[in-house]
Amino acid sequence: MSYENTLLVIKGASRSFGQVVAVKNFSLQVKDGEFVCLLGPSGCGKTTLLRIIAGFETLDSGDVLMNGESIIDLPPYRRTMNMVFQSYALFPHMSVFENIAFSQFLKKKPKEEVARKVRKMLQLVQLEGFETRGPNQLSGGQCQRVALARALINEPKVLLLDEPLGALDLKIRKQMQIELKNIQEKLRITFIYVTHDQEEALVMSDRIVLMNEGEIMQVGTPKRIYNHPNSKFSAMFVGENNLLKGTVVKVNSDCLVISVDGLELFANRTINVKTGDPVTLAIRPEKLRITGELEGKSFGNQIRGKMVDAVFFGSVVKYYLRISENITMVAEDRITDESNARSIKIGDGVTLAFTRESLNVFPE
Amino acid sequence: MRKGKIHIFLLLPFWVYYILFFFIPLGILLTYSFWLTTARGLVPTFTLENYWAIFSKKLYLIIILRSIRIAFIAAIICVVVSYPVAYSLTFKYKKMQDFVLYLILISLFSSYLVRIYAWKTILGRQGLINQILQYIGLTKEPLSFLLYSPTAVIITLVFIFVPFTILPIFSSLQNVKPELIEAAKDLGANNFEAFYKVTLPLSMSGVVTGFIFSFILSAGDYVTPQLVGGTTGMMIGKIIADQFGMRYNWPFGSALSYFTLFLLALLVYCLIWILKILKLRR
Ligand SMILES: Nc1ncnc2c1ncn2[C@@H]1O[C@H](COP(=O)(O)OP(=O)(O)OP(=O)(O)O)[C@@H](O)[C@H]1O
Ligand SMILES: [Mg+2]
Repeated sequence: MSYENTLLVIKGASRSFGQVVAVKNFSLQVKDGEFVCLLGPSGCGKTTLLRIIAGFETLDSGDVLMNGESIIDLPPYRRTMNMVFQSYALFPHMSVFENIAFSQFLKKKPKEEVARKVRKMLQLVQLEGFETRGPNQLSGGQCQRVALARALINEPKVLLLDEPLGALDLKIRKQMQIELKNIQEKLRITFIYVTHDQEEALVMSDRIVLMNEGEIMQVGTPKRIYNHPNSKFSAMFVGENNLLKGTVVKVNSDCLVISVDGLELFANRTINVKTGDPVTLAIRPEKLRITGELEGKSFGNQIRGKMVDAVFFGSVVKYYLRISENITMVAEDRITDESNARSIKIGDGVTLAFTRESLNVFPE
Repeated sequence: MRKGKIHIFLLLPFWVYYILFFFIPLGILLTYSFWLTTARGLVPTFTLENYWAIFSKKLYLIIILRSIRIAFIAAIICVVVSYPVAYSLTFKYKKMQDFVLYLILISLFSSYLVRIYAWKTILGRQGLINQILQYIGLTKEPLSFLLYSPTAVIITLVFIFVPFTILPIFSSLQNVKPELIEAAKDLGANNFEAFYKVTLPLSMSGVVTGFIFSFILSAGDYVTPQLVGGTTGMMIGKIIADQFGMRYNWPFGSALSYFTLFLLALLVYCLIWILKILKLRR
């Protein structure tokens, strides 16, 4: 990535708490107007990193730059960024209006101007008419909107969001995801968004930073990370994957032949391995086709299996297929029409087919 | 039985206790304050004479005002001393929390009289403070104003009643989640603004409760002034107690009590009103 329109740079940031290394040699460049998700399991250092950027946590080593200037010596209130806390952190002794206006009154802005700006913000987050309510008279989703408005009114260059939708139920969460994304696109503010929900990260971000144990595992667009995980961790964490252990039996110029529990599978040669190396294979359930034997030939990989279970999920059905003594794979099939629903029954033998490209290979 | 009703029974001991030992005695006291003491004893009538009697001698008003002044200063000092302690126990020295709170509780359990006597010895002519001052050569003669003065009363009252302000302030500070302070700073508040706009208003209920506790308790205390106050440190509690004891003038004692109670309530009300105006409390 070039340094052009780079707004925020994190350089080799490290932070430990006693024995626990929360953030380890973390480097990232964020472009102006970008929506970046920090994704990772609980305890991987997402909050710590966000707090480092906001100025609530110190660095053991490394640097944070904004527009090319180091900001690590600036206190939080001097940084041109704002944070939306996971617990919202609304001031309980202030009304919605006072909460949103907080930063503006600190800046000694004239009353009419503040009132006008607050009104605009309330419009943006669709909370008109809630001015006089207290935070304890709001639902979780409404609190979330107030927290957002309170941060946005300050016109930050970067908005830091720490699992902002974590406390909401699924339906409101989905709705808020879209609203947040729309607001971000409308205002063109850089968002650094922490979540441990991979689906949320896929839906919302321009770029995902996948973290584990304080380190970056993979950085890339949602598409890239979904389709080409670079490690077993990425494959397991983002979306569903069938993971298979195998050994390389042959390295051709463009493809690898890998033996998995006696089955021979073909994959594109995306990594450097040699014959005999142990590898892990990952394939998405939706990339597995249940086909007729002849039709399957064109896919590049074809294996026989026996169906052991089928689970109905509404729009999709998941088939659990035993392909060898120890391996069961999941295939997902979209139901587009009640009539095309498959008529395979538990215990039936099926043919599974998938392309070489859909098979991701990682060294063990 | 309906679910809602059972709570009334849960409250029963409370009501019995308060009616028997609080409201009835208060009512009796109020009744007495309209009676008269004559040479032949108590005369049940309805007269405001006892209340007028308070204004008949300058002494009573002087002592009432002095009591209020002493109690007010003591309560202010209590709050000023307590707040930093409670604040640092909450936000800075969490590990010491339990230890310090136990210490405070223990000091509450230790006898009140013992603590007053302790201060009497500390502040006395041959007391600890004078001895230290003389030892390090700051004074030649022992300072006599340390004991038997309003200052001595205030010092002693502060030390006796400071737990009553630390505890409520501490407990109200527990409501101030650290992320609220961080949110304030994130939104552009410096340390002082964050304290003044968030921490202080959110802990104000504890400050007010603590202030009222130490203020009322100080204003009504009649042992401390007797032991360390001397004549210039005399407070209204002692005068009232005397009316029920030596003087045997219960109606006048009752009137004095009610008048003082009224003044204190008025002051507390004004205080809360001022805080509301200052927007420190909702
Ligand atoms: N103030 C602290 N003192 C000690 N350890 C801490 C502190 N803050 C964080 N940690 C540790 O650092 C690691 C990273 O914590 P962090 O809160 O950044 O994780 P997270 O990715 O935000 O997790 P979650 O998704 O559960 O919020 C954890 O192991 C945590 O226990
Ligand atoms: Mg976190």
